[in-house]
Amino acid sequence: MGNYYHPSSIKEALRLAANNSGNYMYFSGGTDLQIYRKQGLENSETIIDLNAIEATERILVKNASLQMSAFTFLEEISLSKDIQLHFPLLAQAAKSVATPVIRKTATIGGNILVNNRCTFYNQSKEWRQAVGSCMRDVGDICQVTGGKNKCYSRNVSDTAPALIALNASVVVHNQEGEEEIPLKDLYSPDGIIFHQHLDKDAILKKINIPEKPKTWWFKKLRLRKTLDFTSLTLAAVVDNKDIVRICINGMSMSPILIEESFHSLSIENLLKQARKNCKTVDNDLMPMKYRKEMMNVFLKQWWSTVYSN
Amino acid sequence: MDKVELNVNGFSHTVLVDSSETILDTLRNRLYLTGTKKCCDEGTCGSCTVHLDGKPVLGCLTPTMRCVGKKIVTIEGISAGEDLHPVQKHLVKNLGLQCGFCTPGVVMTAVPYLENNPDPSIDEIKNSLSGNLCRCTGYKKINEAIQSAAEEMNS
Repeated sequence: MGNYYHPSSIKEALRLAANNSGNYMYFSGGTDLQIYRKQGLENSETIIDLNAIEATERILVKNASLQMSAFTFLEEISLSKDIQLHFPLLAQAAKSVATPVIRKTATIGGNILVNNRCTFYNQSKEWRQAVGSCMRDVGDICQVTGGKNKCYSRNVSDTAPALIALNASVVVHNQEGEEEIPLKDLYSPDGIIFHQHLDKDAILKKINIPEKPKTWWFKKLRLRKTLDFTSLTLAAVVDNKDIVRICINGMSMSPILIEESFHSLSIENLLKQARKNCKTVDNDLMPMKYRKEMMNVFLKQWWSTVYSN
Repeated sequence: MDKVELNVNGFSHTVLVDSSETILDTLRNRLYLTGTKKCCDEGTCGSCTVHLDGKPVLGCLTPTMRCVGKKIVTIEGISAGEDLHPVQKHLVKNLGLQCGFCTPGVVMTAVPYLENNPDPSIDEIKNSLSGNLCRCTGYKKINEAIQSAAEEMNS
């Protein structure tokens, strides 16, 4: 039992959030959060469904920059001619999420803020109780490492690495007003509190990409070609100032950004930085060793594509 | 419980629903429209696909409250009386089903897809149905049936 609200504006949603003193959750598409509710991982009494909020500018490409509502459906992004033309990396990343039917309901904002996942946490209640709950649930240790200090659940967004590589920023709306922050600063390397600068009541409103990159590259590793969350996603761009931005996701608690000058970057240095920053543990269907190996393969593939031209 | 009015297959129903209930449970347990199948119940298999204002959505992930004021179409409402929809007809003709559990979801995914993409290739059909799992057929006959249906709908 609980309450369900369907506000038509962000202002109204924030008012409802204030009235429900923390015991609520926002739904945008709700395609992922609904499963958390069914598995007993999310038990808020009140649902505030943001689905009815009408965004004025869903997708606006102007002077090779992009402004987009966070309520834009992933399908709209993958099919938008403007995005395909100017930001094909984003179109590709959106298309790689879930299935065609889910992409009609799931939003870009929801994918950016998707909860971290772990094979020992994202399970039914019975499964978790049988194995022994982990520290992110009601237990006190990490079931993967046996440690008591850190949760290693993985960030599994596919659009986040693409947007971070594109140097995107997001506009967040909370009770105090609007604030624009670089997307890369939204994530914290923690498996339990994986977002920062984001109050409980904050709503992601807009996404801005400053400029069209010179080159782009995207690849996702997963068991099936559809539906599955990522085991490893790599998005890379070279911008107009010859800065390389490579973002790796699915390997660690937050997306990993490597930013270097195109002319001074070496493949050895790149592989070393990636290895150093990825806090990978065995919490995916694909083994850790294989994913680490594939990360090197992806980086080498990107390198040979970009530096051979 | 909330009292809501739902428009399902052109008929209006007043039902009492729980605020966190999904449209799949409402259709099956309150309106007894059991053609929409409950299988994985977590958005993985596509068996529960229904149309919401013409758009395919997964019933197991869609809150019932979100469907208020919208037109819901289920597998029971896709054919014109006893005349099957071309997609249904060709699934039967091409033996695109065995146990039939995934079939309502396949039909409800394929119909809007073919309405927007009248001449799809087999690869495009495979991609459009990639969220519908079938444990019997191996997909070949389903894909062929959808292609035959596209030809009929296009002629």
